[in-house]
Amino acid sequence: MVELKNVYKRYPNGTVALRDINLKISKGEFVFVIGPSGSGKSTLIKLILKEEDATGGEIIVNGFPVSTMSRRQIPYLRRSLGVVFQDFRLLMNKTVYENVAFAMQITEALPKDIRRQVPMALALVGLSKKANAYPGQLSGGEQQRVAMARAIVNNPSLLIADEPTGNLDPETSWEIMRLLNEINQRGTTVLVATHSKSIVDAMRKRVVVLEKGAIVRDQEKGSYENEDKDGKVYY
Amino acid sequence: MKIRTAKYIIREGIFNIYRNIFMTLASVGIITATLIIMGIFLLLVLNLNENTRILKEQPEMEVFCSPELTDMEIYEVRAKISGYELVEKFHMVTREEAFQELVEIFENRQEMLEGYDESIMPVSFIIELKDPTRSDEAISYFKSINGVESVRYSLDAIRFISAVTNWVRVISTILIAILLVVSLFIISNTIKLTVFARRKEINIMKYIGATDWFIRWPFIVEGAIIGFMGSILAFIITGYAYNVIVDRFNRDFVGISSNFIRLVELNRIGFDIIMAFCLVGVAVGAVGSLVSIRRYLRV
Repeated sequence: MVELKNVYKRYPNGTVALRDINLKISKGEFVFVIGPSGSGKSTLIKLILKEEDATGGEIIVNGFPVSTMSRRQIPYLRRSLGVVFQDFRLLMNKTVYENVAFAMQITEALPKDIRRQVPMALALVGLSKKANAYPGQLSGGEQQRVAMARAIVNNPSLLIADEPTGNLDPETSWEIMRLLNEINQRGTTVLVATHSKSIVDAMRKRVVVLEKGAIVRDQEKGSYENEDKDGKVYY
Repeated sequence: MKIRTAKYIIREGIFNIYRNIFMTLASVGIITATLIIMGIFLLLVLNLNENTRILKEQPEMEVFCSPELTDMEIYEVRAKISGYELVEKFHMVTREEAFQELVEIFENRQEMLEGYDESIMPVSFIIELKDPTRSDEAISYFKSINGVESVRYSLDAIRFISAVTNWVRVISTILIAILLVVSLFIISNTIKLTVFARRKEINIMKYIGATDWFIRWPFIVEGAIIGFMGSILAFIITGYAYNVIVDRFNRDFVGISSNFIRLVELNRIGFDIIMAFCLVGVAVGAVGSLVSIRRYLRV
């Protein structure tokens, strides 16, 4: 599904954002990527989306050779996965329905498929009644649910969420997490970058910890912090 | 590209035009101004070409008598011409023939000749010289004859008009090129504002997997429509102004001077001009869009 082999990322200003990253995420997994600000979480996601190119190593996402393929292939890579961002990134002048339908329009999907799949995606995130509302009329949690409906409407095999609850209150955050979990239960691989300790601890999923650009821990059913015998706290 | 995608692109392009109505109007104005200036030169060149063509069809030298000459006086002029050593042969054009020629020229606008008859026309003599190199000598001789009002020597006129035409062509080509670059620059800046206002949207589209062309096309359509509107507007203005000029020109000059220059009627060249305007307008609009969107596509 996602495979990174000896991946390095060095920005032109000399900052090394990622060093020797080896990560393999299999089909159907639910993975948290955590770590303090500047640890390389965002860079990791940018590399997977080919928003940035790795300076070294190999990246394979959904069968796309991300590190070697041409820029012209990028749209097709991105169509094969769904992305959810901290700031929702909805088109403010389009209704909820149109926002979700738009993700299908750009893939030149059949109108009849759009008419069938958009309501299904909206029902899944519980927003069927708000289909004709504009994003500006919705709460933060609802907007993030629209973004999730948009991310899954093309039935991607991988869903990437970059700080999906960063702008939301704890209760709403839980709704989003429950939804991500449900999407995962339906067979979609989910990769979540987050800061939220309570969520990571409660969900008991695979946890990948980044620190200063390196993976310092990769644990099944992990928690946000890792205490050793002496009670010393690590990330 | 699928038809539904094309529909989306056209709808989106038209929508953008409404969304930025003031910038759209500004861009249309700029394209219109450019095309009007281009149109002025185009009309100038077309008219020069047309007049050169007419002149080339005409006999080499034509001597015009004053219109008010009596038959007796005309006979004297005729005698002086036929007796001149440089004249190889000559042909007298009567008032009736001259008027008939005028009627033919104004076949579409007979109303302009209403109330006139052949008495307004001068009698003229079409002359072939024995030795064209001595044309200057001949012209001054004909001009010295009592009752001769003017002499037209076509070769001189053709040479002169050709020289003028060439200069006009060169100057207009340079000027039009400069204007095109300027309007391209202004259009691309206008669309850049649209693109800038929508950069978040473009960014989102990139993230959900839109291809560059899918994002680009609506802007190109927007630019092309702006160009098209500009060319139609320019044609209306140029065409109207030209018609007024043609009317005025033909009313004031035709019939007074027998050496008249003819302005080409708009209905004969209108199609060529509107095609040229549309082509240039649409191309400038579309290329301007392409240029302005380029750097926002790298995400």
